[in-house]
Amino acid sequence: METFALLAQGFAVALTPTNLALALFGCFIGTIIGALPGIGPVNGVAILIPLAFSLGLEPVSALIMLSCIYYGCMYGGRISSIMLNIPGDEPAIMTTLDGYPMARAGRAAEALAISALASFVGATFATIGLTLFAPLLAGAAIYFGPADYFALYVMAFATIGGVTGANPFKTLLAAMIGLMIASVGLDPATGTARFTFGSYHLYDGFNPIVAIVGLFAISEVLFYLENMHNGDRKMVPLGRAIPKLRDIMVGGWAHLRGSVIGFICGILPGAGASLGAFMSYVVEKRISNKNDTFGKGDPKGIVAPEAGNNAASGGALIPMLTLGVPGSGTTAVMLALLISLNVQPGPLLFSREPEMVWGLIASLYIANLVLLVMNIPMVGLFTRMLSLPQWILMPFVVMVSFLGIYSISNSSFDVLVMIAFGVLGFILRKLDISLVPVILGLLLGSDMENNLRRALSISGGDPLILVTSPIALGLYAVTFVILAAAFYLSFTDKRAARAAADEQANPHL
Amino acid sequence: MSDRIAGIFMLIVSIAFGITASSYKASFGDPLGPAALPVMLSIPAGLLSLALILRPDPNPAWVTGAPLIRQIATVALLIAYALLLEPLGFLLSTFIAVTLLGRILLSGWAKSALSGAVMSLILFVTFDTLLGLPLRALPEALS
Repeated sequence: METFALLAQGFAVALTPTNLALALFGCFIGTIIGALPGIGPVNGVAILIPLAFSLGLEPVSALIMLSCIYYGCMYGGRISSIMLNIPGDEPAIMTTLDGYPMARAGRAAEALAISALASFVGATFATIGLTLFAPLLAGAAIYFGPADYFALYVMAFATIGGVTGANPFKTLLAAMIGLMIASVGLDPATGTARFTFGSYHLYDGFNPIVAIVGLFAISEVLFYLENMHNGDRKMVPLGRAIPKLRDIMVGGWAHLRGSVIGFICGILPGAGASLGAFMSYVVEKRISNKNDTFGKGDPKGIVAPEAGNNAASGGALIPMLTLGVPGSGTTAVMLALLISLNVQPGPLLFSREPEMVWGLIASLYIANLVLLVMNIPMVGLFTRMLSLPQWILMPFVVMVSFLGIYSISNSSFDVLVMIAFGVLGFILRKLDISLVPVILGLLLGSDMENNLRRALSISGGDPLILVTSPIALGLYAVTFVILAAAFYLSFTDKRAARAAADEQANPHL
Repeated sequence: MSDRIAGIFMLIVSIAFGITASSYKASFGDPLGPAALPVMLSIPAGLLSLALILRPDPNPAWVTGAPLIRQIATVALLIAYALLLEPLGFLLSTFIAVTLLGRILLSGWAKSALSGAVMSLILFVTFDTLLGLPLRALPEALS
């Protein structure tokens, strides 16, 4: 019951004219960003963070705007998957499998409407989950001491790569790179200047937002320059604008299956929306692929991954808000925003800033309704966006990132730092080193160090305090299991690949 | 090979990082001091770099030819833009930058110049007038 009272208060915050307008704006911009290939949700949210600063928004309003952009991106990603066979963002890859064949068969409008409904079901499911579970987790997290937080951060870094099969050495190294970058600047406890090389510009360390915009937005432009000849962009015709209601509802139980799987994937650290979409598709295929229609334009093949990725993105907000540990790239960027606005996420956020948390949750319900309306009758507007030429779009993205970063401190130095991070991001991505752990290290590094120091101050320097609390021990155990699984998977994958390669090289053996 | 080079580079960085950090001292209070965490980081970072050297993945396809030139040109253009933004003023530097970026993205001169002109005006009005970010509109010498 208490939850409902708090939620009602949240709606009072979300329905103020400013916040409602920002939510609408966020949904609209988010859908565009999601739809345009080349700007994913991380880039989109990162580029628009400086906007939140220069608008001088209250933390709660800024958070509402960015969360609506985030939800909007997840809706928008499917549009170019279906129309162009190019995913608008990473989680929308699975939607191309059945979405594009369906559009090719002249049912593009249907595919868009079906996927919009699936997005709505998934995102609403996740928002309800957020409403119910987040306060529980926040309540439990109040018992965390400094040593437990240190263990939690260790777990976040060790498991961010998850069991996704990426080279675990590289993921861990990426986290180390982020933590090393985070230690540049004045040491918060003693004021010692670390790794500043005598430059006053570095005394405050690297601003995470500058680093994020560089790592994601600028490196994305460099990637585009590399691949600009490979993309064959042929749009299928949209067909009739609004399909019949009966045709949209074909998903049935696939909606719910996708939502549940996606939601669980979203809460897990390091998994996120891409895994949510992937798992939902695989499971749905196993259940519903009776006549071998999957991959050829089966509506359920659109419903499952779309419900999955939207549920996952809602689920990913839970660890970010309750523990201060984001589970995905986009939520990491939102955490950067909160930290920059002097809001410390974590369990205390729910008791200290109930208006912010519940205002955000309420605005997510509103965003879902708005997005459903925007994405069924108004979808033609967004498909027209896809024909915007890249030589307008790319310079625009670059210029907005530039001005956004410039507006933070009015100095060219930050902009040069951003460019340097852009080149670094490009090289890291080329080497298959994920950027999310780098960001996470950069964001959480100082907090991790503070908690370690606080723990050791409590114990007078005795390191045993780090492993005496049951919470910390439990977290280390989970970390160990996930790490072991990740290494096991990566080694067996490699061995299998090598065996297959040997077999190909010597077929007679 | 790429992984090995990256591994060697990161190994050197980790060692330098650890050695630099171990010289930091604070005379008061804190049992851990400013050196401890960076030193603690440098050890796993070094070991992971070693792992990268010993167990490299296959090489990625590095960029060559025209795309590489486009990338280098873009990075150079961005750096020049950052340095010239204040002396040249926002309108002129943005016009030049967007026009050249359009050219790098294989659009024609006329179209690029048009998008440069329109975009610099729109962005100036949005950021300076609407969002209140003080930008210098004209070159330093003129104002």
